[in-house]
Amino acid sequence: MTGGTRPSPIAWLVAPAALLFVLFFVVPFGVMAMMSFYSGNPVTNPNAFATTRHYERFIFDTAGIFHDALWSTLRIGLVTTVVALLIGYPLAHWMARMQSRLGHALVLMAVIAPMLTGIVVRTFAWMTILQDKGVINTLLIQWGLIEKPLPLMYNEFGTVVALVHIYVPFMVLTLTGVIGRIDERLEQAARSLGAGRFRAFVEVTLPLSLPGILAGSLLVFALSISAYVTPSLMGGTNVLTLPMLIAQQVGTSFNPNFAGALGVILLLVSLVIVVAYNRILARLSGEQGMA
Amino acid sequence: MVARNTISRRQALRTGAGLAAIAAIGAPSILHAQTRTLKITTWGGKWGEVMKGTVLPAFEKEFKCTVSADQAFPFVPKLQASPKNDPIYDVLHTNSNEQWNSFTEGLVMEKITAKEVPNVADVYPWAASDKIVGVAIFTSAIGLGFRTDKGLTKPTSWKDLADPKLAGARGGYIIPVNSLGQCHLMMLGKVYGKGLTDLDAAYKALEALKPIKLVDFTGQMEKMLLSGEVSMGVIHDSGVYRYEGPNMQPVDFASPSEGVMALEQVLNVTPGSKVKDLAFGYIDYMLRPDVQKMLAEAVWYSPANKKVKLDAKYDEKLLTTPAKVATLIQPDWKWYNARKEDIDARVTKILKG
Repeated sequence: MTGGTRPSPIAWLVAPAALLFVLFFVVPFGVMAMMSFYSGNPVTNPNAFATTRHYERFIFDTAGIFHDALWSTLRIGLVTTVVALLIGYPLAHWMARMQSRLGHALVLMAVIAPMLTGIVVRTFAWMTILQDKGVINTLLIQWGLIEKPLPLMYNEFGTVVALVHIYVPFMVLTLTGVIGRIDERLEQAARSLGAGRFRAFVEVTLPLSLPGILAGSLLVFALSISAYVTPSLMGGTNVLTLPMLIAQQVGTSFNPNFAGALGVILLLVSLVIVVAYNRILARLSGEQGMA
Repeated sequence: MVARNTISRRQALRTGAGLAAIAAIGAPSILHAQTRTLKITTWGGKWGEVMKGTVLPAFEKEFKCTVSADQAFPFVPKLQASPKNDPIYDVLHTNSNEQWNSFTEGLVMEKITAKEVPNVADVYPWAASDKIVGVAIFTSAIGLGFRTDKGLTKPTSWKDLADPKLAGARGGYIIPVNSLGQCHLMMLGKVYGKGLTDLDAAYKALEALKPIKLVDFTGQMEKMLLSGEVSMGVIHDSGVYRYEGPNMQPVDFASPSEGVMALEQVLNVTPGSKVKDLAFGYIDYMLRPDVQKMLAEAVWYSPANKKVKLDAKYDEKLLTTPAKVATLIQPDWKWYNARKEDIDARVTKILKG
């Protein structure tokens, strides 16, 4: 008689990642979600009681800023993702089809190079370019093309520009791997059967690269909606996102319970968008459960 | 016959491991019994340099303890997250508004009196007034900083910030996150309305200040004034006066006739501190005239201790006499904090777009 079934070696290899996920996501998120249903910290404050008031505060939004902040967060995330995809896809396609190893290595280095610099530094670099007395406005005024500085910063435009620059490498690296695995002969076969370059791309390469588009988009979307530093610096007072509100609730209003509720709401809304996006792409590609 | 008392390698290893375990378990408590640790919060920058370079080493030597100083914001959320009976800090150093928040949650004591801290007997009334929880050790005056090279006359009133000539060249703060911004909002209520608590008048006056450049921290306001990005802005006196001497810049500070708001540096003790005597000793030490003088002259803060004699150039500009101290207006942070959520929402809507 043998004992119980032994866990497979793969399970042991996955265990550290699973442990990390549980310790650094499931547990903190669980604590945050629990806190969002209390009036205070139930561990340190014996008078804390269970309540749904933080969610009611968000839903009824008598202050008139929370719904705007959520919409602004999602809008910035979606626009950043679309622009990063439009910039990243051609670059990734070019890299994946590049014959020269040296050329591929050089382009790869160029894509990765900005990631070696901190987000704060890159954001400050954009500030020196886009602010009223920045490089662009100063040059345009000097050349007599404009009289007043263009509003390039302290708005959603400047925020998206900086976020796209920061997150395009994530899109490119994700797409390059997927496009590189698509058999070029499929495209050649389509062309030998009379399809033009564009039609072969649209009907063969693009559908086969949908898993990469999905993965890259989800990555960039998740990073964009949770960004704090860049919207704070580039958006000024004209941009208010949920991560900024959450930081404000924790750091200056000392209300971690409402911050927790905002975190849960952001996660739930994002999950709904991600699931919907996954289904639409799966339907478009004729596959189910791509991700 | 004498038995041979030999020790095998295994026995030696076992004994060694046992001793090591006892040492490992016992050593920290033995060390703890000898050297106690005081956990405090403190600022960075020039203040932090003087504290870490001079003040804290001298305190450690005199009180035979070690001081663990946290300079990483935000302090109050960290205190909130730690157990009340074993708090992360023994002494909390923040501005007054955060002390009031902490007191409301039972994280710090209400008052520090001369009974616990003898030097409290020598402080100006503002430092231990009913507007303060804990005890204030310094204050700055919040007024108007301005460029002296832009042809501006020295402002005499808070209303001067609304001068149309300053459109887009005036500076303020993101009110929800900055206590100077919150003070400015209350002052707008006093100047344009019935008093510090007249929020409707304050909101209207704030709207009229647009376009205004807003920042999170006073350090950013200093940079904006120094770079000429703004010509006039709300700032505390030490943020301007520190650019004197070899650091001289074309900026100056003005105390408006309606009064200056107090930006107090407050110390307080956590009720669950295990080293309360040391915590009180630290506050007493920080209120000593020699320590007060050293820090006041390093960062241009007005000392709380009446017995401090500053050098002439500091004495001339800082709040060191009862007459000068009388110009200080202390905000009612208990009142403000109770309404902060509503105020934050309202000013966010006013200043957005």
